[in-house]
Amino acid sequence: MRSLALSEISVRFGPVAALSGVSLQSQPGEVQLLAGPNGAGKSTLIGVLLGLVRPDAGQLLVDGEPTSPDPAFRARVGYMPESVAFAGNASGRDVLRFFARARGVALPRVDAVLDEVGLADAARRPVRGYSRGMRQRLGLGVAILHEPELLVLDEPTGGLDQDGLALLWRLFDRWRQAGRMIWVASHELGLVERRVDRVAVLRAGRLVAEGSPTALRERAGLAVRATFTLTNGVDDATAARYAGNLAASLAARATDVASLGALTAVLPVDRDNGQPRARVVAELEPTALAATLQRAARWSDQAEGSGIAGIRVEEPGLDQVYEALLAADAAGRDA
Amino acid sequence: MSTATMSMRVAAALCRLELTERLRDRWVLVISSLFALLAAGASLYGRAAGEAGAALSGPSLVTLVSLLMPLVGLVLGQDAVVGERERNTLGLLLSLPTSRLGLVVGKYAGRLLALCLAGSVGIVAAMLASAPGQAGVLLGLLGPTLLLGAAFLSIGFLVSALCRRSATAVSVVVALWFLLVFFFDLGLLAALVVSDGAIGGTTIAALVQANPAGLFRLVMMSRFAGPDLLDALGVVGGMPGPAAEAAMWAGWIVLPVVAGGLLLGRQKETR
Repeated sequence: MRSLALSEISVRFGPVAALSGVSLQSQPGEVQLLAGPNGAGKSTLIGVLLGLVRPDAGQLLVDGEPTSPDPAFRARVGYMPESVAFAGNASGRDVLRFFARARGVALPRVDAVLDEVGLADAARRPVRGYSRGMRQRLGLGVAILHEPELLVLDEPTGGLDQDGLALLWRLFDRWRQAGRMIWVASHELGLVERRVDRVAVLRAGRLVAEGSPTALRERAGLAVRATFTLTNGVDDATAARYAGNLAASLAARATDVASLGALTAVLPVDRDNGQPRARVVAELEPTALAATLQRAARWSDQAEGSGIAGIRVEEPGLDQVYEALLAADAAGRDA
Repeated sequence: MSTATMSMRVAAALCRLELTERLRDRWVLVISSLFALLAAGASLYGRAAGEAGAALSGPSLVTLVSLLMPLVGLVLGQDAVVGERERNTLGLLLSLPTSRLGLVVGKYAGRLLALCLAGSVGIVAAMLASAPGQAGVLLGLLGPTLLLGAAFLSIGFLVSALCRRSATAVSVVVALWFLLVFFFDLGLLAALVVSDGAIGGTTIAALVQANPAGLFRLVMMSRFAGPDLLDALGVVGGMPGPAAEAAMWAGWIVLPVVAGGLLLGRQKETR
């Protein structure tokens, strides 16, 4: 699969517009995150992709060609729904063996997958006795059993412990390296933000924003926080003076950097291994970061008796970006 | 690989899964045992009552089958689709490379095999307990018994595909069981009385056959009581020939389950 796109998808359930003209595109090796509040249309979009929901308008494009999500397409897709509860007395092994038979996968692969998802020891236990995390792992096993070109995961992190999350990230890496695609819907943006390549933010069935996490950060315009640490002061008063000098030096050059005027604070001097430690915190627009760091480095080179010992840059989390984009969208609609 | 081959493979896997699950299901075990006990009991009672009683083993079993098999079929079928929907596994099954109809047919085949096993156990139990010479007569009931069960299983699947909740499906199949097994004949009787004989025997026979339980009873009456009783009831003229009977059974078995699959395919959201 060289490309996958949903084009101008609209779905109505009676008077409710579940999706309104949503278009998304993925390339091989990309992990596409679907984010949005409850009822935003994430699961409906996944349903359209899998042929579980019939759209009123729009089409699925595979390699640029209009395609229906028919059995031939679904043979190339692995799906993990949210909170699966397999029926009856079947064991985890029984469940995977069923899906292996249904997809024409050799049965020895079942044990390999059980091992991969960490269920080898529980393979013969009835699934009804599995914890939520174990059911999630089994759902992952079902989805990856046939090594699909497209993996569709609906809220895969729910109930997973640290080992389970590590398993999930390994799968993400493996799929990415193999040039396959992943579509993942998740509310836990903080968990997945460093694991995804593209983010689509949905709200009330509309696509609010779409792009790489970096592009969305820039679009949201949230401040980046840079913390400069100075540890060379001989006493607290001197350390505070150096920090003040750095803050003043940065602020003095603020005219040619858009947001250096937003320099915030010189933090109270504290101790680090017995030495006085001073810190300057700046809140900056992302585009002003590079220039600010250059100026700080120049000041550090020229300062007498002190220097910058450390710089920590904190970008806003994807959850903050998401909130900002939704808020901007809501404000735009209200206006 | 062709789409048809993929669909067949999914249907075969579903059939196997359904059969395995039903054989593990306590409800199926209980109903099979109950059917076997009652069938054997009817045979033993006839055997103890002498030659005349032994001859009644068949009709007794017919009564038992006409009550129990529709219930078993309906209950086995009612959660086939809606149960998956409530467990959130319908979407997962439909993400397999098959059509909705293929999914329903695969599930139906597996449950039909389980139903055939349950029905066969009952008939075999009755044969083992029967008087000498009666086993062959009772064996002749096996085919119609399974056809009756298959028809009601198919109706159960249709109900399951149409309902959004298991509780609704259960209510509907219980209501259908009362309607088709108990009240249908009473309704026809009432129609006859009210019409004061204006409704002819052929029409009555056709109406009886419009219900698979009625078709089963009519065929069994023909087999055990002969044409005289049917003539006395005024329905002998409306009796189907073998080809028409086969076509009616095929219709009752195939049409509801296919309709269920097609209706599932027409639903806008299938998850």
